[in-house]
Amino acid sequence: MINTVLYIIVIGQILFSLLAILRAYSGPTVLDRVVAMNVITTNVVIILLIFAFIDNSYYYIDVAFVFVLGSFIGTLCILKLLREGHII
Amino acid sequence: MVYEYIAIFFLFGGFFFLVVGVLGLIRLPDVYTRMHALGKCDTLGTGMVLIGLMLLVRDVTNITKLILIMAMIITINPVVTHLIAKTAYNRGTPMVEGSYVINDYVASQRRRRKSQVDSKLSQEGGEKLK
Repeated sequence: MINTVLYIIVIGQILFSLLAILRAYSGPTVLDRVVAMNVITTNVVIILLIFAFIDNSYYYIDVAFVFVLGSFIGTLCILKLLREGHII
Repeated sequence: MVYEYIAIFFLFGGFFFLVVGVLGLIRLPDVYTRMHALGKCDTLGTGMVLIGLMLLVRDVTNITKLILIMAMIITINPVVTHLIAKTAYNRGTPMVEGSYVINDYVASQRRRRKSQVDSKLSQEGGEKLK
């Protein structure tokens, strides 16, 4: 029963990530795309954690950890580039 | 068991909030309103899904890692939202029609400068500014 619930949530997350990709494709400004990619990153982290439970292979949790940190630094660099024109 | 039912409640609650956030991203008309939808719904939904997974895992090491990931997402998501809003405001991104900005920072600076000039003039015996 619990596996069915988790599969339903994973499939829903994938479908709504596709909707967010639609917004990232057709966003009028560049900041819309930043927001949409942020949402997709969060969804990927949730999918990774649920797969770690379904597949009973818990090293995916470390992968999700690194993914969160990398997405944060990436978003920070994009915003600094947009505000100041250079990163370093 | 009881744990599984509580976990299913938390998982579906978090899924509901994530879905509402993405629908706000699709439907709302503006950068600021889209951010307003996502900054709250994403944080709450992720937190609820992770609490549900913590009830399912039942292992001390993995629960500690999940708590760490939840704390990181809860702190990182509002910070990124604030930075995106600040960048959008500094770049002059257009808002939807009918909305307006009250910039309290500039107004308070102007008021303070005026009161300083007033006190200086009153010390020197001059007239007050209007």
